[in-house]
Amino acid sequence: MTLDETDTRLSVAPDVPWVTLVWDDPVNLMSYVSYVFKTYFNYPADEAERLMLQVHTKGRAVVATGGRERMEMHVEALHGYGLWATVQKADE
Amino acid sequence: MINPFSPFPKRKDGIHVSLGAPERSILTDLLQQLITLIQGGDTSDAAMTRLFPAAYADDEEASAEFRRLTGDDLAQGKVENAKAVLRTLGKDRKVPLDTSEEQAWLRTLTDLRLTLASRLGVTPDGTIPAKDAATRVSENVYDWLGFLQESLVRTLVR
Repeated sequence: MTLDETDTRLSVAPDVPWVTLVWDDPVNLMSYVSYVFKTYFNYPADEAERLMLQVHTKGRAVVATGGRERMEMHVEALHGYGLWATVQKADE
Repeated sequence: MINPFSPFPKRKDGIHVSLGAPERSILTDLLQQLITLIQGGDTSDAAMTRLFPAAYADDEEASAEFRRLTGDDLAQGKVENAKAVLRTLGKDRKVPLDTSEEQAWLRTLTDLRLTLASRLGVTPDGTIPAKDAATRVSENVYDWLGFLQESLVRTLVR
């Protein structure tokens, strides 16, 4: 790889990663939220459970980190499941 | 093990829907209302706001753009789920749900509960404020939908 190629790759890489947040709501069942984390994100059962409890007790949890488009794709999928999900910059 | 009281008994051939005619009729009515609500596309309706929440907590412009790009597909997906469940309610009871029908049930039960919760004014801590007779009927339906969903999730993860 030449230096030029490296530079190009660096210039298109996102400076700040984005995150997908899931927010607590009074409707969705804890079992269902865990189920969605497990089946959609392929999280192991204990990690899905930990994230669900974080949503429940802290009011929200970061469930994915990465590029903005990918996070928007996750949010769209989570809205399809009826979860309250948003995208934001990781540092906000 | 087969739980004879589950509304979604799991048998050798798959998950079945074990609901009587009155229950099927209530669900059919609710699903038709849900389809009408989504197809109506009234974005000022609180239930619609919950079914299609803003994708950005504090960026209206980005949320509007997200809605422009994804809104139709999301709405169509939710309507398709409701229609798929309506079809299973009219189907031969000996036939189990296929995988996509299981998912349609899960998601549509969620959408029904979100809509009903919005109508009932469920507060962030999960309580329902007013208690007139009509509210109590809806509250019972809401609880029953929660029971159905819990049963289905349990059956699916078992």
